[in-house]
Amino acid sequence: MAGYIIRRLLWLPVILGIVSFATFSIARFGPGDPVSIAAGQLRDPDVLERVRAERGLDGTVVEQYLRWLVGDLYPGGSGSGAIRGDFGESFIQQGFSVNELIRSKMAISAQLGFLTLVTVFSGGIPLGLLAARFNGTWIDPFVIASLLFLTSVPVLVIIPPALWLFASQLDILPVGGWGGEGLDGIFDIWWIGGVVAVPIPDPHIYLPLFVLSIGGFAGVARLVRITALEVLSEDYVRTAHAKGLKETTVAFKHVLPNALLPVITVIGFALVGILEGAFFTETLLGIPGIGRFAFAAVQSRDYDVILAITVILSTAFVLANLVVEIAYTWIDPRVRLGEAVNA
Amino acid sequence: MSGQNRVIVLLLGVLAALVIVVGGLSAVLLLGGGEDGATTTVDGGEGGGLTTTTDGDDDDETAGLDTGGGDAEDASGRLRLAGSDPVTMDPHIAGDSGSAEFIVEIFSGLLTITPELNIELDLAESFEVSDDGLVYTFTLRDDIFFHQGRRVTAEDVQWSLERAASRELASPTALGYLGDIIGVRERFYEGAESITGIEVIDDRTIQFTIDAPKPYFLAKLTYPTAFIVDRQQIEANPRGWTRRPNGTGPYRLQEWRLGQRIVLQANPRYHLGAPSIREVLYELSGGSTLTRFENGELDIAFISVNDIDRARDPESDIGPRYQVFPQFTISYLALNTNVPPFDDVKVRQALGFSIDRTLIAEVTFNNMLAPATGILMPQLPGYTPDDKTFQFDPDRARTLLAESKYGSAENLPEIVLTEVGGGAEGRIDTQAFIQQWREELGIEVRIEQTDFATILARQDEGSLQMFNAGWIMDYPDPEDILDLKFYSGSALNDVNYNNAEVDAILEEARVEQDAARRLELYQQAERLIIEDAAWLPLYFSQAHVVINADVEGWFEPPMVIPRLRFVQVNR
Repeated sequence: MAGYIIRRLLWLPVILGIVSFATFSIARFGPGDPVSIAAGQLRDPDVLERVRAERGLDGTVVEQYLRWLVGDLYPGGSGSGAIRGDFGESFIQQGFSVNELIRSKMAISAQLGFLTLVTVFSGGIPLGLLAARFNGTWIDPFVIASLLFLTSVPVLVIIPPALWLFASQLDILPVGGWGGEGLDGIFDIWWIGGVVAVPIPDPHIYLPLFVLSIGGFAGVARLVRITALEVLSEDYVRTAHAKGLKETTVAFKHVLPNALLPVITVIGFALVGILEGAFFTETLLGIPGIGRFAFAAVQSRDYDVILAITVILSTAFVLANLVVEIAYTWIDPRVRLGEAVNA
Repeated sequence: MSGQNRVIVLLLGVLAALVIVVGGLSAVLLLGGGEDGATTTVDGGEGGGLTTTTDGDDDDETAGLDTGGGDAEDASGRLRLAGSDPVTMDPHIAGDSGSAEFIVEIFSGLLTITPELNIELDLAESFEVSDDGLVYTFTLRDDIFFHQGRRVTAEDVQWSLERAASRELASPTALGYLGDIIGVRERFYEGAESITGIEVIDDRTIQFTIDAPKPYFLAKLTYPTAFIVDRQQIEANPRGWTRRPNGTGPYRLQEWRLGQRIVLQANPRYHLGAPSIREVLYELSGGSTLTRFENGELDIAFISVNDIDRARDPESDIGPRYQVFPQFTISYLALNTNVPPFDDVKVRQALGFSIDRTLIAEVTFNNMLAPATGILMPQLPGYTPDDKTFQFDPDRARTLLAESKYGSAENLPEIVLTEVGGGAEGRIDTQAFIQQWREELGIEVRIEQTDFATILARQDEGSLQMFNAGWIMDYPDPEDILDLKFYSGSALNDVNYNNAEVDAILEEARVEQDAARRLELYQQAERLIIEDAAWLPLYFSQAHVVINADVEGWFEPPMVIPRLRFVQVNR
């Protein structure tokens, strides 16, 4: 398995190379460029050309890409290049490096994404179980129908009524925004007697968390319900019971791994969904995360920012998939990474 | 069965825990770089001088929730506004109003603009103009200091302007605002050592020589491109100085956390009198400003078209707090006079006479925009209240189209209207115009939506046929729109407008010393330009805001000017 992981990791640079070059070229085929936008009223072609050259935006796409990739190792480049972790300088936030800009925004989106993932699974699974447990009564269809309804409501539609209810009418939550940097954003510390520190979730996170979780919530619950019902009716469960195994043994050895598998597969999808949802949520609730920033960057052709976000997210997805695959082998011994699987 | 079910419930509970662990693991891996980064930013930020406030983050966060209690005394003298990160805090390269809003409070120049839009002395104590109108001699005040304490001298003024006009900086605004000074072009294009037209006489006296007696030169000196920056700070930290700029304005930048907040603190030594508001907090994140206003989180909020009926109703909760301020912003349809069919003035006029802007402003914008009565906006010198634009007159439009060299709608080439937007549909007013052209003239106009960058690129090429655009005034002088947008040789003349008579009037107005005669010339040019219909003026913008009862003297100026020091917070 170690060999497999190493092989997969070796592929990572290749994938990143392809993705970044594709993004790089596509961004540059679009009309307009950051220099022209920043120039405002100065519409002098010679001056713009000179500034482009200074910013490494002259020459062919391949030359520009190499400058971006290796920095000053390539003639006309500056900085140490993406390959050494320097993603250049932003145009829409002048005087700040792309790394610096993205870090803080990424941290916010990551916190929000992580919390959402936790909420989605910790809320979705019990609900799915509830439905499975009461299979055949009115509770099952009721839970499932309500969840289906929630899944089909887009994030965009949920936000305004949620704001109206919690912020305007009940006045218990702030209207969007983000509490602070690092863990400040998630937890406020309440001191009891100046000695005991109690972390209280920051009021800013409830709305985005609620809005982002609702869709995934329903998806997970429905999946869990189906899985639970299926596993229960499997022959091997009956056989296990029949040969007199203890209930807990049956549960942990036979039911659990098989019920777990399909749920794990959706983690990857859930991440994609959360990132997509975060784009709207961050924009509408004014959360200074990566989704909102990416949109602004594309609008103003902030090449280096667009590329940095693409590269980081591609890396993230490759790694997340790898983790899911590893989790598979851990749960289901029939799956052997890197070998043919006989179903 | 029920026993078995119980076990499964138990089992799946364990499963839930496992899934969370795996999910959490992948999320941490996924954005691991980010989480590490978060700590680095905090450290890096503090190291780089981004954040030095010691007084509580907690105050800010709870302010919106605890409306009563201990926060009240802390909030006294603090104004809370919504804002967004400026592109830059460097006054010499900022070209957008979002950056300028901060810059005009933090920096200052020789002259400033008052809320009444008069030009007044700022760092300068007095100035003299030579009889030929070419040489301006400024005397600096003797009590002017940078925020960090150093005294401002004539050398600082010289160094700042030379920096603004330097070839290396390639400032988008340098030529527009300083280009009248002799030697600025040489420095900007050829990298000349200094600006020949700027001479330091002594510590407190500086002299500018300009290329022609231009009365609007003083107005240009109120713009950030002519603001004073701290040479020592910039030379010590050329890349990062804008994070904590050392200016001479009424407020100093106390804290700037990207995407989160900007805090301005009153400059107690400000030479025109210490500002009343001690601290101004700009919340850079957060949702709808009106909802936050109603929640008591913000002191000022803009009203959108969705809330305008409620704001206008004096009985509603926000009605008594609502105010409207006219803006120096005009939106217009631009018709490229080089591209058929707009090479024929009659076609352009026909389009102008067949749209009913008053109706459309009412139906589509709920009258939040005022139909433009000309090109010069209300409050601008030279503005006349009579409506000089084409009034809705379909018969006249049809006659004009028939008289044009194309003769009829069938003979016109395809017309494409380009505008900023990402949707499949046009802007709602654009759709209304297209409908009216179809009904009244039988002309089909296709909408093409694209992003701002694309429009800009195609404007530079001169390849746009017809487009939706706007203009925001930079200084209150008609030259800033009529000369820049309609003089045949101007780089900003994006409709290729070329009228020798208008050119002659604009040239005369540039150097006319008699103020009244000068404005007459601009009014004359305005009428000719409207008649030629290269622009179809649409609307003048207005700012619709609600203002907290505790805030006194708040106003939305028609253009970006320093204003915080004229406002008070009574709590």
